[in-house]
Amino acid sequence: MNISRRTLMRGIGAAGLAAAAPGIFSPAIAQSKPVRIGILAPRSGAMGTVGECGIRAVQWATERMNKDGGIAGRPIELVIEEETSPKDTIERFRRLVLQEKVDCVQGLISTGVSLGVAPVAEEEQALLIMWDGTTQDGVKEAMPKSQYVFRSTDNECEAVMASLLSIKYFKGKIKRIAGINPDYSYGRNNWEAFQQILKRAGVEVEVVAEQWPKVGTMDLTSHVAALKAAKPDFIFSSMLFADLPVFMKQGSAAGLFEGVNLALPAAGWQINQLKKEFMPENIVFGHNTLYFALPNASPLQKAFVEDYMGRYKEAPSWEADRAYFALAAYKAGVEAAAKATGRWPKLTEIIESIPKQKIESLGGPGQFRADKIAEQTFYQGLSTNQNSYDFPTLKTVDSFTADQLQKPPGVDFWEWLKTSKLPV
Amino acid sequence: MTVFLDVLLGGVFHAAILFLVAAGLQLVFGVQKVINLACGSFYALGAYFGITAVGLASAAGFPAWTVLPVLILAGLAIGLVGLPVERILRTVYRRDESYQLLLTFGLLLMFQDVFRFFWGATPRTLDNAYLAYGTAEFMGLRVPTYNLLVIAASIAIAVALGAFLQKTRTGRIIRATAENRDMSEGLGVNSSRVFAAVFTVGCMLGTVGGALVVPASASSLEMAVELVVEAFAVVVIGGLGSMRGALAGALIVGLIRAAAIMVLPEAEILSIYLVVIAVLILRPAGLFGKAMA
Repeated sequence: MNISRRTLMRGIGAAGLAAAAPGIFSPAIAQSKPVRIGILAPRSGAMGTVGECGIRAVQWATERMNKDGGIAGRPIELVIEEETSPKDTIERFRRLVLQEKVDCVQGLISTGVSLGVAPVAEEEQALLIMWDGTTQDGVKEAMPKSQYVFRSTDNECEAVMASLLSIKYFKGKIKRIAGINPDYSYGRNNWEAFQQILKRAGVEVEVVAEQWPKVGTMDLTSHVAALKAAKPDFIFSSMLFADLPVFMKQGSAAGLFEGVNLALPAAGWQINQLKKEFMPENIVFGHNTLYFALPNASPLQKAFVEDYMGRYKEAPSWEADRAYFALAAYKAGVEAAAKATGRWPKLTEIIESIPKQKIESLGGPGQFRADKIAEQTFYQGLSTNQNSYDFPTLKTVDSFTADQLQKPPGVDFWEWLKTSKLPV
Repeated sequence: MTVFLDVLLGGVFHAAILFLVAAGLQLVFGVQKVINLACGSFYALGAYFGITAVGLASAAGFPAWTVLPVLILAGLAIGLVGLPVERILRTVYRRDESYQLLLTFGLLLMFQDVFRFFWGATPRTLDNAYLAYGTAEFMGLRVPTYNLLVIAASIAIAVALGAFLQKTRTGRIIRATAENRDMSEGLGVNSSRVFAAVFTVGCMLGTVGGALVVPASASSLEMAVELVVEAFAVVVIGGLGSMRGALAGALIVGLIRAAAIMVLPEAEILSIYLVVIAVLILRPAGLFGKAMA
């Protein structure tokens, strides 16, 4: 499979080069060999859906960029490998760097895997730009001074935003809260952040139930029964894999959501699986950094969403934006450095250049901070089923930038939550 | 009381599915003395094929209420895959148990790629089927009718299987072969055919279980491995090779899990394996198992 995919990508690269419009770069650069981008993304398992979405987006971006001259006149060629366990992914990362001799590796969604790969990237002095992976040990940044590793926004951004919107839309109606969150640090930190933000906003609540299904649990009937028994008026769930649609389906059938408001900060990852039949309306619904039906979306987003939905008959999730952002950031960094030096830049020059570039990504503007952590635009809002799709959209769209939702460099997340100026 | 019933039904629903898979495992071990690690694959196969069958039935204009019979028929039909799989297993019947374990584990992994090839890596769901039968309300309780139908179907299958093994001539032949293969062969029983039939029925129990669970959940590449671990907990508690043990083990696992989720969610997995450990220490053969020499 990989060989044919590589062949295909080489084809795309060659076709792009042939079709490349005359660019601003010198012929010396333009005639060079392709820029090889290694991609590490999950293609199966709980994250298979989102990994596939990211791969489709990076392929779309490659095709589009190649038609426009590639990166500094060189066509882009993708070498795609699968992200699986940390151990196996590290081996594939090394293979991409040492054997395939890629110029940059992009991808990674699981923080568990990213934490393993990032030190190897530093050791190999290889540029790594993550889509959704972080180097957070819980909420603590484990690599505050990375040289070669660019990370995604912090994992807690969507939970912070969903908590703030819960207060904005449901203050006065939240008395008895229940949580059902995935049983690992992401789920536990999100649930804790939600409670801390409620506390800071002066919303006094009683925690009536906490459920921690392990990722991939597909029979949640007992969890639903336990939540029902607790009689909450608000449920917060940062479930984000295939178990979220299962939870919503089983909860709806059991009448769990009657008279209950919900916040699902990461629901957008499973947007196509969350069918109207079992989705109540007015959920605080998170789309992270790409809301596919954004009113007044940029021409770039419109073009992407139209192509994507036309081709795959489903809506793209935010992983598409993360994949595009990573490639666009690399392209912008290389081209700015190439323009400054008049030649193909050295790796250190590219790394220095990337954080200085403002990127127009699919979901909106973004930029890497000096500490190589991304700042992007986040979208959430209240859901509605009044649309032409078979899944919910947003009837109100709120957008925050990551600097409003993310701890600054070197600051403790929990301290920041207590003292920061929150946007709601 | 309502809360208790709600939790009880949640646990019994989980147990109903577990029972089907564990019963297949028990049947195969009881007769063929093969610990079939691939039983989880049959469960996943039933789930994937169930989705395809319901999709085809829906496209052919079958009404929504036919979901359950379509799923059961789909499970039975795809369960016939047991026949060729059993042919492969014949190569290791007389060998050390470790060969059987390795072969069935290999099959488990290979099936994962088969699912990926035919159905892709993305988890698949049956979106509307779960709510096709509406919800039942009684004693202040609201339960998806589908859950009750699955519980009823599992009970019916358990009763039918018990009656088949105890009351029919073929059942007696199967039990005789399980007791003493050489003696039954000496009396004219074609054990190869018995093995093929038993393995296929065991396989069908798994595929029907997978097909029945999919409207309430989703099919995924991991579901085979996840279930096989739980099914073995059922078998250890109930006793290897015992159908009654499968029933008791499934109920114990399902109910303990449901109770733990209600009382101490963090102990969901721990509670099951505490029981497994207790059974292994106090009654190593399981609640209904026979001690082996």
